[in-house]
Amino acid sequence: MNAPLPKQIWKWFERTRVGRSIFRVGLPQSNLERAQAMVSSFLLHIQPAKVNRYSLRASYSLGLGLISLYLFLILIGTGVLLMFYYVPSTDHAYNVMKDLQFVVSAGLLMRNMHRWAAHLMVIFVLLHMCRVFYTGAYKRPREFNWVLGVGLFLLTLGLSFTGYLLPWDQLAFWAITVGTNIAAYAPYIGSNLKYLLLGGNVVGQEALIRFYALHVIVLPAVAGLMIAVHLWRVRKDGGLSRPDEPGDIVQQVALSQLPTSKTYGLMELARGTTPQVGRNPEDEVFAWPHLLFRELLLFLLVVAAVLFLAIFWNAPLEEPANAIHPPNPAKAPWYFLGLQELVSYSAFWGGVVVPGVLVMALVLLPYIDRKRKGVGRWFARERAVANTIFTVCLVILVVLTIIGSLFRGPNWSWQEPWKKAPAATEGH
Amino acid sequence: MDHSTADKGVSRRGFFQLTLGWLAAIFAACASAVGAVRFLVPNVLFEPSLLFKAGKPEDYPDGSVTFLEEERVFLVRQGNTFRCLSAICTHLGCTVNRTGQGYHCPCHGSLFDDQGSVKSGPAPRSLEWFSVTLSKDSRVLVDKSQRVNPDKYLVL
Repeated sequence: MNAPLPKQIWKWFERTRVGRSIFRVGLPQSNLERAQAMVSSFLLHIQPAKVNRYSLRASYSLGLGLISLYLFLILIGTGVLLMFYYVPSTDHAYNVMKDLQFVVSAGLLMRNMHRWAAHLMVIFVLLHMCRVFYTGAYKRPREFNWVLGVGLFLLTLGLSFTGYLLPWDQLAFWAITVGTNIAAYAPYIGSNLKYLLLGGNVVGQEALIRFYALHVIVLPAVAGLMIAVHLWRVRKDGGLSRPDEPGDIVQQVALSQLPTSKTYGLMELARGTTPQVGRNPEDEVFAWPHLLFRELLLFLLVVAAVLFLAIFWNAPLEEPANAIHPPNPAKAPWYFLGLQELVSYSAFWGGVVVPGVLVMALVLLPYIDRKRKGVGRWFARERAVANTIFTVCLVILVVLTIIGSLFRGPNWSWQEPWKKAPAATEGH
Repeated sequence: MDHSTADKGVSRRGFFQLTLGWLAAIFAACASAVGAVRFLVPNVLFEPSLLFKAGKPEDYPDGSVTFLEEERVFLVRQGNTFRCLSAICTHLGCTVNRTGQGYHCPCHGSLFDDQGSVKSGPAPRSLEWFSVTLSKDSRVLVDKSQRVNPDKYLVL
């Protein structure tokens, strides 16, 4: 009877007619009621009622997918707020940035959070992909979810790239000029693609509003939908991968094999790879509180980290965009600098062939590498060849990105970052 | 559920209904996609005109190479001849700078000689030359939509 006051008020509200109409299950008191709440609440039912102990180990998943999801949510929250001020016009966009910096309450914070969360999301989606690769988690039955993940990685890059133009400063303008010219090297459709993307031949008003529409509605809507399917498939494919998984547990029952004299419940027809099937009950714990607590804790950590970055470091903003004076050197966003470094050797090979082959290889990977060995363990010895190939590609990508970001000075010449850059030659 | 219909094969009427239905659906989907893409292709561009006047010939001294900022071109005068060179790098669209040896792109280090040909760097093609004529009111008239060979001059 001595429950704290907020809980008493809550319990009273729950019992009212209105409260009962909103919450199908009240604040649960037992494991059974918690499990009921998990399956009957819209927001909770994307998660299982019970979860394998192995899946809860932070050392296995590192929470990288969840972190990516949280960053996406932070980006939606801050992005929607920024939309209330932003004007997608070449005359106003830059002024809005200055307003956000100096006039709007918490405007600087929102812009900083949005920028850092976007950068972090690129990093964490990539790390998440590495985790899934090194634990062999893309194998049957999770092949298609890996493909969805590759799509989400590309969407993350697209979201980040389209957002890059919106401040309409020098950094934005020239990064998009370089980036769209890379796209123009695509065979057959390249120049048309660039024209369509920019709504013309140059980066101007039409390009700005196109990138804005892509950034605030088209790409987030597609990404949101794909994230939903991605999470749904995690559940339907049997939760996180584990070493003791039996693989395909129950084959789908062929309709023609069923006797026609009987009626069927849905559960008799559904494919049976839910986490419960074929598992020892002692391996499992209730998702509420064990999973929910960890998720909430991780969410707090992610918000805290983004806030920390946003408070101590400001998002860069250079001079207003100027089509006449490219900065020297003009650089694409950092996650494309590996690509730009490749492009500086050959635009066609570096800008089209290498990224095209890499993306195709990623998409086809689960259908090529089909052996179900070493699933659910980090760096399994059985997967030494695949892990080595992946690591080599990853290291090359990281090294190229570091070279493009830090070791390229004026005129894209080699420049050690610890030495002072020589003054750029500006002779017309 | 009645499974017996599956074994009967498809009737003529059923086949046509099925085929026409699917054809109509595929056609509608394709037409919508084509229409949507066509909608996004702009018919009118609000971009600076590609045809512009660059002042009087006397404004440019003999042997000069003048950078016209707004137009992103170099106007080259040698004796009585005029030529116009694009300042847009053929690699990734940055604006090239004039240096002692020729033209240098700051973005990826492509180097072009005085004729606009690639000397080094990743640029796939030489810089473009544009048509230069004299307008009726004796002004240098450049048409950036007309590409010409580097040996084509306006002779006064």
